[in-house]
Amino acid sequence: MADPVEKLLETVCNDSRSFCVGEILVRKTSTGGFALSHRDDKATDQLKIFRSAEDAIDIAKHDDAGNYRPLKTAPKLRHGWRLDLETLEDLRRALDYFYPGRLAMFAAWKSDKLQITPLRETLERQSGMYRAAARISDSQINDVVADFCRSNGGCLRTILWKRDAEEVIASTKLPKEKFDPAYDQMMASKPPGSPTPATAPIPATIPLLCQEACNLLIAECRKVMKGE
Amino acid sequence: MVNYLVTLRTDAALLIVAHGSTVNADSSAPTLAHAAEIRRREIFADVECAFWKEEPSLRDAVFLFDPESIREVCVVPNFISEGYFSQTVVPRELELYGRITKRSNGQIWRYCEPVGNHPIMTDLLLRRAQEIAPGVPKNEATLLIVAHGTDLNENSAVAAKREAEKIRSLGKYSAVLNVYMEEPPLVSEWRKLTKTRNVVVVPFFISDGLHSYEDIPVLLGIVVAAGGGCGQPGSALPATAAPGEIFRHNPYRVDNRSIFYAPSIGTDAGFADIILEQALNAKS
Repeated sequence: MADPVEKLLETVCNDSRSFCVGEILVRKTSTGGFALSHRDDKATDQLKIFRSAEDAIDIAKHDDAGNYRPLKTAPKLRHGWRLDLETLEDLRRALDYFYPGRLAMFAAWKSDKLQITPLRETLERQSGMYRAAARISDSQINDVVADFCRSNGGCLRTILWKRDAEEVIASTKLPKEKFDPAYDQMMASKPPGSPTPATAPIPATIPLLCQEACNLLIAECRKVMKGE
Repeated sequence: MVNYLVTLRTDAALLIVAHGSTVNADSSAPTLAHAAEIRRREIFADVECAFWKEEPSLRDAVFLFDPESIREVCVVPNFISEGYFSQTVVPRELELYGRITKRSNGQIWRYCEPVGNHPIMTDLLLRRAQEIAPGVPKNEATLLIVAHGTDLNENSAVAAKREAEKIRSLGKYSAVLNVYMEEPPLVSEWRKLTKTRNVVVVPFFISDGLHSYEDIPVLLGIVVAAGGGCGQPGSALPATAAPGEIFRHNPYRVDNRSIFYAPSIGTDAGFADIILEQALNAKS
């Protein structure tokens, strides 16, 4: 029995010949399989070919400069590869390695089961070395979130959480599209004049939803409080 | 490999939780490999991982299993010891209240013992020590089990101490010691703590990383710090050696003694069996 994630992927695959997830372009092949590549490599022929969903683990691990990518939704996926997969199950597994947990969050959100947690609640819950992060001011949050979570160089997730229980927006310094699941965050990550201008047709896109601040953002809040 | 005759219900899932790292690319690799192996055995309807410092996060994990098809989730902490993370962080982030938690959607979450608590661990440590120092007479060797040690939770060092006691009671090695990076007995004092010509060192960690690649080798003196001179000329690796290279140059000669240095115990493929055992124990 297919679970909600596979059903969702199946629906997306049936609706279009190609679609995007973050920086990845997924194209259906004539043999019923799938070809995955970096969106920037859409027109590139000289790509290194991989054939196992597990290859996604290594592809996603380092950026073009060889730096470790602790945040998989950071827009620094390396280029120059193509991953050929045979089944929908392989596709689901590979996308889970590229963007761990994001398909499940999207499926939960689509069925109104995704619980959203305000940043202040996440901060107040911390213990040990992260307890200090809770002392961060609203103004400091506004700056930290704007810098760390921005789609252009920071993170491609769509923020669903609010700053606090009063439903205050996470950062007034981010564009309103950052909070819109219908918006393709890759459009915001491209500088003006880049090969994929904002005016180009936008392919079907599965958003990378963020229902709660990640540990990396909490660590950034702590750094501010520690003056690091 | 443990032979499992039990096939779990198709509505049960396994969640392996681990620390992960924002700086060490190898931290989550063993956990992902153990998950892939368990997935291959088709014992659970679903097998997922979640991490404190990587993705999916522990908070994401609450939404990974469809309550319509998965009625039970076994959570196994891939941690060496019962400590701060397994007792405080993981239950808090996963919203677990004791060993069994029933969610509002009816899903049952069983919180299992960390892998470090399982009796098979002793066999894995012995096997790894044998593999790294084949042919070395055990009665002429000291086995050091190196753990982190911390002041956050007093239980952190207990697992290493327990394993050292168990192996010591077997009477195979001349001596078996539990030593720590951050609390006495310190690994850096191995020269005073050991008397044998051969010293076999097994890091009691879930994965290889900064501690096993760099910190412990420096504390042992088998890595030459930049500009410094530890050990005998020609016997130590430069601190700039590639990760993993440290395990390929055994034995190291330091102060006329031979040190055999093993990769972290958590990289042993036998961990998949322990994770399964912990999950099955929680279900029985």
